[in-house]
Formats: sequence, structure tokens, C-alpha cells
Amino acid sequence: MRALARASSDDDRLLIERVRQGDEDAARALFERYFDRIYNYVYARLGRVEDAEDLAIDTMTRSLTRLDLFHDQGVAFSSWVYRIAHNATIDHYRRQGKVTLVPLENASLPESADPSELAMEQLSNDELRQALRELTDEQQQVLILRFFQDLTAVQVAEITGKSVGAVQALQHRALGSLERALKARTVQ
Amino acid sequence: MRAEGQRLEALAERLRAVEPAMPSPGAKIRGWNIVAASVQHAGRPRRPAGSVWRAALAFAAAALLLAAGAVAASANSLPDSPLYAVKGVLEQVRGDLAQSPADRLTYHLELAQVRLTEAEAMIARHRIDLADQALAAMNAQLQEAASVVTAEQESGSALAADMQNRLEQAITAHDAQLAGLQGEVTNPVAQQAIAQARDRAAQALQAVHNGSSNGNAGNASGQGQGQSHGQGSPKGSATPHPTPKK
Repeated sequence: MRALARASSDDDRLLIERVRQGDEDAARALFERYFDRIYNYVYARLGRVEDAEDLAIDTMTRSLTRLDLFHDQGVAFSSWVYRIAHNATIDHYRRQGKVTLVPLENASLPESADPSELAMEQLSNDELRQALRELTDEQQQVLILRFFQDLTAVQVAEITGKSVGAVQALQHRALGSLERALKARTVQ
Repeated sequence: MRAEGQRLEALAERLRAVEPAMPSPGAKIRGWNIVAASVQHAGRPRRPAGSVWRAALAFAAAALLLAAGAVAASANSLPDSPLYAVKGVLEQVRGDLAQSPADRLTYHLELAQVRLTEAEAMIARHRIDLADQALAAMNAQLQEAASVVTAEQESGSALAADMQNRLEQAITAHDAQLAGLQGEVTNPVAQQAIAQARDRAAQALQAVHNGSSNGNAGNASGQGQGQSHGQGSPKGSATPHPTPKK
């Protein structure tokens, strides 16, 4: 059971209305509801505690001070917050001059790689996180949202602006890429 | 060798089992302080009833500062920054706008948290002198907050219990943050300053408890200072800032 709780969009809607009317307690409730989840998302992307803290704070600040830009028509507040977090990570990469990595879909394994399956139980969380960061931006986003944040394919589709089918296909490719990245690390 | 589908499903399950990374309590408190300040800046429609003229003056002062471009830059400034004085002015303006007891309590508790965050930052930068000042200012804010609560208790206000609860929660959170900090620092002067800050915060809380159980607590800040370590009076003052702006 993951520690990061899901929020109901109905609850969010009521709180958003109260925040718009200047209710600080409602803002606090939304902050409490989303800060940990956004921190977890950003940390999975960046891997640095300091950066993750700053970006999570920045995301929550933007979300709660720019509610005038959020129109509750078809898009859940949670999706909107994740989009802001995603854009913040992209901006961060841009500022840091990070080069987008080559997709691993077609990368071939080294000759010496053991073709047998990975020993999943022996993989540490850190190894998984590091290998995850070798994937493309889109692949990272989908895997983190699906498996670290426990969101459904429908929710991920709403956040990323893709169709559900496209998310599922991307998820499949991303898992394949992650497997290859982990095997390559094992060989090294 | 397993089929691709099975392997990928096993990998997906392994990803689900990764423990979520959680922010530190300090980061969460710092985050809320920044978000709360931004939310208030973004336009809080609830304005305290009272002196319109005073509020207009305060807003005019804030607008002038905004025009100078210093407001945004000073919002997160630290005690070793030249913009820190501007931050003090803004805090003073905010204090002028807080007129109801509940607003004043919120004001003092938020400033106490800001001072604590500043103290942490100064310790990280090895500016123990400024950290000590920030901690003393934090205590001064907590004692002001305790005074507000005690006054409500004395007046028999229905809000007193809720306010006491908020103060207790804030002091408990501060103490947890200070305890963490105390465990991290190696400088003995800093450790002593933190220990004193924790002690004084506990005294402020005790004063409110006394007020709650006696129904008439007297002056909380006076009690807090009187019982402190015998090492002189706290350096903080009733002003929000370590460097008073009066």
C-alpha cells in the first residue's frame, strides 16, 4: 500500500472554490494533499533532494496562486498540478542544460549481456530510480505517474494530453527501455 | 526465459514497490510558509475590519516598495542579505493589518516559523551570530503569540481553546524541527542557542497551559523570560524582525 493518498476531484473542487474566496485553511488542505505527491514526482525525475524541494514548493505556489488560470472543465485539478510540476522539471532541465538522452527502444545490449531475466529482488530502489532517469522525458513521466504515483492510464492520459492507447503503448516501450537500461547497468 | 509480457509485468510490479520519496518535515514547513505568503500576496479578499486609513497607508507603503522592485527579491531574503531590511518593513506592514486576535496569532506564528527557517539557513552558512538572533526573534514571536492566547483566555473568549491548540501545534512542530537541527549541528554555540530556543518555546507553551488551567494566566511573555536559563533576557523583541525597524 503506497503512502501517497489519492484525492477525490469533488473534494478538490470544494477546496478550490474556498481558496478562490480567500480561505487559507482550504489552501493548506490542498497543499497537504498534493505536496508529498508532487515532491515524490519531482524527486523521481531529478534525483536531488534540494531541487525536488524547490520545485515542489514552486509547483504548489503556482498552483494555489494562479487558480484563475484553472478552469474546471474536463481536467481534474490533480492533472493540472502534475502538468505544472512537469513543466517545472522541463524548465529546470533547460536551465541546467541537460541534453535529452537517446531513446533506448532500439538500443542493443552489449554482446556480453546475460540474456536471462533481471533478478528483480536484487535491484535496489536507487538502481531503479537511476535507470529510470536514463529514459526519455516522456517515458520517465509515464512510468513515474503510473507506478510511483499509482495513477490510472486514463489519469496519465489527461495529464500528458495523450490518448489512453498512446499512454499504454508508451508505458510498454518505457518498461522495455527500462529493462534494457537495467541490464546494461548490470553488465557494466 | 520468460516471455516479454511477464518480464515487463514483473518490472512494473517492482516499480510499484519502490518506497515513495517523502519531503523532510522542515521542507514541508518551509514550503507551506512560502506558499501561504504567496497565496496572501495573490489577493486575499478577507480584510480585517478596522482602520481603513491605516490599511490604506500600509498598502501605499507596500506599493512603493513593489515599484522599487525590492519586494519580490526580499520575500525570501535571509539575515545576511542587504534586502533583509525590506523584508522587515513588509512584515511590519503585515502586522499592522492583522487586527483580530486570530489574525495576530497567525501573524506571530508565521513569523516564528520564518525566523526558524532563517536560523537554519544561517547555521548552514556558519553565521551562528545571525542564527542566534533569528532564534531569539523566533522566541519573541512565540511569546507574543502566547500573550495573544493568554489575553483571549482571560477574556473568556470562545476562540481561546482553538487558539491555544494552534499555538501548541506550532510549538510542537518548531520543537521537532529544532530537535532535528540540534542533532545535525556540531558547533557548541549553535547547539546552546538551539537548546535555549527550545527551552523558551516550552516556557511560552507552559505559560499558556497555566492560563488554561487557572483561567487567568497573567503575562505569558513575562513568565517565559523570567524562567530562561539565567543568561540574560532574550535578544528578540516584539517587532517581527531580528533588526527592529522602529
